[in-house]
Amino acid sequence: MKPRSLLSQSPTSLKLTTGCETLDECLRGGFPCDSLTEIVAESGCGKTQLCLQLSLCAQLPISNGGLDGSALYLHSEFPFPFRRLHQLSRSFHLSNPSIYADHNDNPCDHVFIQNVHSVDHLFDVMSKIESFVTNSKTRLPLKLIVLDSVAALFRSEFENTPSDLRKRASCFFKISGKLKQLANKFGLAVVITNQVTDFVESSDGLSGLRIGNLRCLYSSGRRVVPALGLAWANCVNSRVFISRSDDIVCQERRDDDESGSSLVSGRARRRLDIVFSPHLPPSSCEFMITRDGICGVR
Amino acid sequence: METWRLPLSSSIRGKLISAGYTSLSSISSVSSTDLARDVKITESEAFEILKMANQVTGSSSCNGRSSSLVNGARNAWDMLHEEEALPRITTSCSDLDKILGGGISCRDVTEIGGVPGIGKTQIGIQLSVNVQIPREFGGLGGKAIYIDTEGSFMVERALQIAEACVEDMEEYTGYMHKHFKASQVQMKPRDILENIFYFRVCSYTEQIALVNHLDKFISENKDVKVVIVDSITFHFRQDFDDLAHRTRVLSEMALKFMKLAKKFSLAVVLLNQVTTKYTEGSFQLALALGDSWSHSCTNRVILYWNGDERYAYIDKSPSLPSASASYTVTGRGLRNSSSSSKRVKMM
Repeated sequence: MKPRSLLSQSPTSLKLTTGCETLDECLRGGFPCDSLTEIVAESGCGKTQLCLQLSLCAQLPISNGGLDGSALYLHSEFPFPFRRLHQLSRSFHLSNPSIYADHNDNPCDHVFIQNVHSVDHLFDVMSKIESFVTNSKTRLPLKLIVLDSVAALFRSEFENTPSDLRKRASCFFKISGKLKQLANKFGLAVVITNQVTDFVESSDGLSGLRIGNLRCLYSSGRRVVPALGLAWANCVNSRVFISRSDDIVCQERRDDDESGSSLVSGRARRRLDIVFSPHLPPSSCEFMITRDGICGVR
Repeated sequence: METWRLPLSSSIRGKLISAGYTSLSSISSVSSTDLARDVKITESEAFEILKMANQVTGSSSCNGRSSSLVNGARNAWDMLHEEEALPRITTSCSDLDKILGGGISCRDVTEIGGVPGIGKTQIGIQLSVNVQIPREFGGLGGKAIYIDTEGSFMVERALQIAEACVEDMEEYTGYMHKHFKASQVQMKPRDILENIFYFRVCSYTEQIALVNHLDKFISENKDVKVVIVDSITFHFRQDFDDLAHRTRVLSEMALKFMKLAKKFSLAVVLLNQVTTKYTEGSFQLALALGDSWSHSCTNRVILYWNGDERYAYIDKSPSLPSASASYTVTGRGLRNSSSSSKRVKMM
């Protein structure tokens, strides 16, 4: 057993850009490889948008912040937003024609989508990923795994009894252990999304247990807590929280009106906070979601 | 010590014992001629026995008196001197060092646990850098073994902390040698990274195999002074169908760590997670791995949030009083919190 030399690799670990400068700055480059990052957000905040954008950014060359690789998108919620992926893919292709020119393919060819409908199905799929990576003849090697969302898998299968909760917790560690092993072996970035539940004060005070840099998490004006509890929080390396606030609206100018006048539409502003991470200081940034993807707001 | 323990031939031993010389102290007070006459052996044999007895008593106690009854035992006075002379690894946070009695002690297994995001990995990285502080700056000048089971170790963070450590040392040198030409600090951040032996384990079997291998590894790298495991828990919280088996495996591992700590005089730091335990009708926070594991470590420190501040609490220690102190995690590593005008709280 030999130790790994810390100097043999680059001083900063490889990161996957989010495609948005503001987010990249907050994340000090993007989502790290060989690490599990969790995105916690309420429905409609932009988790899936960010994940779709990451699946495309993975195909960028390493010099541009990408991973020169393809993405595996495991989705547990229905329906999968195929139309949105195509829309993003079109504008991505237009801005990065050189990646696809020589091979005559398009960004969607490098995003592999697999639905998972239960925890056992997820274990089944994960056992096949290793052979998929080693035997695949695709042009770009697999470099990103997205699991959207982990909470949906556990929504109905487990009761609230102590023994079921223990079984559930052991499933968390198994999933996390397997994903981390894959991430380490192949240098993958793994991004997992999670949902939030409303904060309900409990008598033992454990529901309000502070995890990370933010004392309380607020979204859409309500106090929320990440789903799956303390056990799952121990399974991820980093956690970011995306929230939205309907009363802060950005103006976006669109010049495609036929009469020549430009339309102004409002978009809700989203905020990304670093909850905990071994290499990031507590910070936050704001962004909005446009037709072409995620775009930062100063 | 009894005479039958001396490496003698059985006939001579038998004669010694039947003549009544059963303990070493009885031999040491007699001359070789008297011994030879009493035991009915030749004078040269008696001389050999006396020489052997003196050698044995000389090695079993530092002050030359054969005060031990059992081979290998030491008296508490000698142990106190040894313990006081043991160096401690600073955490770079003086409040935390104070409640730890100067820092993390060598020859001990210290467990540090807390919720995600409280700073366990940060303390681990800080200690693996601080153990390398050279002796002339008050450190141990040793190397570190970092066993990463979770993938939380980020090289850029370790480099950041290493750079801050070198800067602090240079500042100290500049301050101390104001009137002389400031001697350059020899260590560079790259050297610090080179002296951290980093192992990544991805399953509990790998973890056990690595722990078993550590004895050989450290024998070949004698200047390792700290072994950090981040975290000890992660691979053991997957389905171990037989919890008794898990407890056995964990206690064996804990025993190996204790032996390593004592044998090589190094510090072992085990980082642990927090879980909810159902006791007395309600859920409470407790360190993971169960009750039997909680006996395996010499010292236990629990990290927790109090308002917006991070605190460390000495939960278990054979010599330190229960106390808590606050600390912060900065870009340069672990430091005192800015509100450290509050005194260290004693319980």
